[in-house]
Amino acid sequence: MTEAADIPAAPRRRRKLNVSLAIGLVLTLSFLGIAFVSLFHLPGDPNMPDVRNRLLPFGTPGHLFGTDVLGRDILSQLMMGARTSIMVGVGGASLSLLLGSVLGLWAASAGRVTDETIMRTADILLSIPGIVTALVLAATFGSGAGTTIVALTAFFTPSFVRVIRSAAISVLVEDFVTAARLYGRGRLFILARHVLPNIAGVMIVQFTLYFAAAILVEAGLSYLGVGVNRPSISWGLMLSEAQQQVGVSSPLAMWPGLAIVLVVLGLNLLGDGLRDVMDPKLARRGA
Amino acid sequence: MSEQAIDVRDLVVRAGGLRAVRGVSFAIPPGGRMGLVGESGSGKTLTALSLMGLLPAGLGATGRILHDGADLLTLSDRRFSNRRGRTLSMIFQDPLSALNPVQRVGEQIASVIRRHTGAGRQAAMAQVVDLAAQMKLPRPEEIVRAYPHQLSGGQQQRLMIAMALSCYPQLIIADEPTTALDVTVQREVLRLLSAAVDERGSALLMITHDLPVVAAMCETVAVMYGGTIVEIGPVAEVFRDPRHPYTRGLLDSQPDIDRIAPDGSSRLESIPGMVPPLHALPKGCAFRPRCAFATELCERMPPLEGGARKAACWHPVSGPRGAAP
Amino acid sequence: MSEQPILELRGVTQEYPLPRRGLLGARPMLKAVDDVDFAVAAGQAVGLVGESGAGKTTLTRMLTGVEQPTSGDVLFEGRNIWTSGQDHWLNFRRSVQVVLQNPRSSLDPRMRVGHSLLEPLRSLGIEGDHRARVAEVLGQVGLDAAALDKFPHQFSGGQLQRIAIARGLMPRPRVLIADEPVSALDVSIQAQVLNLLKSLVTDLGLGLILIAHDLSVVAYTTSAAAVMSGGRVVERGPPLELFRAPQAPETRALVDAVLTVERGLAGKALE
Repeated sequence: MTEAADIPAAPRRRRKLNVSLAIGLVLTLSFLGIAFVSLFHLPGDPNMPDVRNRLLPFGTPGHLFGTDVLGRDILSQLMMGARTSIMVGVGGASLSLLLGSVLGLWAASAGRVTDETIMRTADILLSIPGIVTALVLAATFGSGAGTTIVALTAFFTPSFVRVIRSAAISVLVEDFVTAARLYGRGRLFILARHVLPNIAGVMIVQFTLYFAAAILVEAGLSYLGVGVNRPSISWGLMLSEAQQQVGVSSPLAMWPGLAIVLVVLGLNLLGDGLRDVMDPKLARRGA
Repeated sequence: MSEQAIDVRDLVVRAGGLRAVRGVSFAIPPGGRMGLVGESGSGKTLTALSLMGLLPAGLGATGRILHDGADLLTLSDRRFSNRRGRTLSMIFQDPLSALNPVQRVGEQIASVIRRHTGAGRQAAMAQVVDLAAQMKLPRPEEIVRAYPHQLSGGQQQRLMIAMALSCYPQLIIADEPTTALDVTVQREVLRLLSAAVDERGSALLMITHDLPVVAAMCETVAVMYGGTIVEIGPVAEVFRDPRHPYTRGLLDSQPDIDRIAPDGSSRLESIPGMVPPLHALPKGCAFRPRCAFATELCERMPPLEGGARKAACWHPVSGPRGAAP
Repeated sequence: MSEQPILELRGVTQEYPLPRRGLLGARPMLKAVDDVDFAVAAGQAVGLVGESGAGKTTLTRMLTGVEQPTSGDVLFEGRNIWTSGQDHWLNFRRSVQVVLQNPRSSLDPRMRVGHSLLEPLRSLGIEGDHRARVAEVLGQVGLDAAALDKFPHQFSGGQLQRIAIARGLMPRPRVLIADEPVSALDVSIQAQVLNLLKSLVTDLGLGLILIAHDLSVVAYTTSAAAVMSGGRVVERGPPLELFRAPQAPETRALVDAVLTVERGLAGKALE
């Protein structure tokens, strides 16, 4: 009766929240912006070797970030890489969000047998290392962005199922769901109109966090050579190529590394910021 | 400094820019029993948390809380926790969340005893079994080896009481100790608490919304509303002849079985309106918007005045209850 | 009470299977409700009292058609809800509504109050002037139209419970089942809500089933009550009589457990 309601919310960490959210937004929006620009304009051809201009340093006119060992423009490659990261990240995160939501909601609302079946399957999938899945898929279907997305989806979906299921269960035990059943609402209506809006915050936050994770995993896979191949370019691929030049031209590895760090950091900050802003408990108190 | 079991002087708790507790003073003599009554938003829970040094982060308390020769508000965390369980201990509403789920209950109680008395493992455990027996728990030797979730709510709460009393504290603060329990269990737990407090000569502060519990357990009562004490005094006087309209309203709202007409015609007197939220407390007396007797005078904060019993009201009501219009 | 009951349980038993002990052997069954008769008529308020685990929840689930009893009949207007066809079932669904214990949980936090109020009408396919109905019901529970555009977190517990009652009233039910409707509310608000429920019974001729653990709440609100323990009804009668002269030991335990201010002051509460 009086427990939590009696205690006023501590002065909210508004400024801190906003800082995290703001930095996250700035980083993420610049990332999206750069990828968008790359669709229309690249400073040079990221795949065209130019042996006379190999390993140009940062700040060379015409090659702002320099060139790699074959004389290809680094900035153009980074911009292409951003595009790949978005494609793979959005693709992997949204496919697993979609699948995870369907399965998670199903597990939460169907009977015990369905629930157990889905959840134990998810447990088994979680115990298979993602890298193995990716290697098998790459060996079977060839490597590339599409295969990477499929591998990411297989890798992430079980986690999504778990998160969505437990969020859904916490809504399904609320009295308004019981009331809705009693005035005749069916399972699908309850899931769509009561559960989904109440777990949307969780879903958005998960999406941003797994978007970031997808970029990391993609970089790892490309680095191992089972991800993206030229003429597509990804930051992982750039890292892998630059590795041979470490000691000769270290900044080569620094640029894609820095890009990955900034984007992943941005998405994680965004996710954390959103989590705090969208937490219904905080929102409820904030009135 | 003070000979009281606890002496609270002008306690103010700030939450952001708002004052959630607005100058609360009371004292409990050694062995005395006081009830702190209020509804949600009254500030009673924050008052209790201040006494225990458990205010949530971001909330600050000022004033003085004198206990055992020290001002609790100035104690360091370490020195405060050295007192918790020894000179002052607490019983919470939800025993399950106050007990460590992965440790046997007996060991938890024993660790409190060992920490504060320096008793050995064996001796402490023997004391725990004794305590469990005093709490009328069946087969105490076995029950102390159980994990919290294996016990019923009533059993958990009895063990919490045992733990709180294990070191003969000067003051026990019980926050809604029976609200989560079944009605029939509630009475037994209250009875055990009462007996155990008596036996040790501890003072008791009961925080509750439940007036009958206060009537059964306490000698004095303080009624809180809008962050202040609006009435305080001996339980019998305050409950039989309330001066503050809010106290009277609370008492009249009780569905008292002895006052129900058999033809079903009786209606409960209810207080109109709702408890104002902290950020929208009215000027002056916080109860003013809900009060039938309010006048312009009430826009000024009434002082808490009187002798042994005090009421903060410009227009105190009087006369026995039941005569309300 | 001589009237025809609207909602009635006749000889109702509900069993749940318990986990098997060992691989072989029959599954042991738990009788949550054991051969219970219970009924409510129009304009009548009936109480159901008992401790947790007494079978009140299971009984409520059968009264609301959430569970089908293992044996016995659930009758609405004299006909079994489980065997009388779709039309009768729909009629039952409209006519029996609930108010639950925790007002904070009984309204969707993401839905405006106005939307929540219309939900039962939409779900049950009830035609008519929905706006007029909302206005009428808001008046009955003592709220004003400004409430409709707000979200649940903007209300106090007592107001939310009024809104939950309003939602229950929307489809013009004949029976309202209130499951511990005041135990989560502040004391000064409990009286408001109990008074409201009481006036709905007299003004609208509603049948009210009040489920509570507190005998004094039931005694104040209802004219007849049943005491449940261990899945059975151990005693029934007017609540004040149950109070003054309890026959069953379980009733006596409940009566003894009631604390009142007067008894407390007299020093008799804990004897």
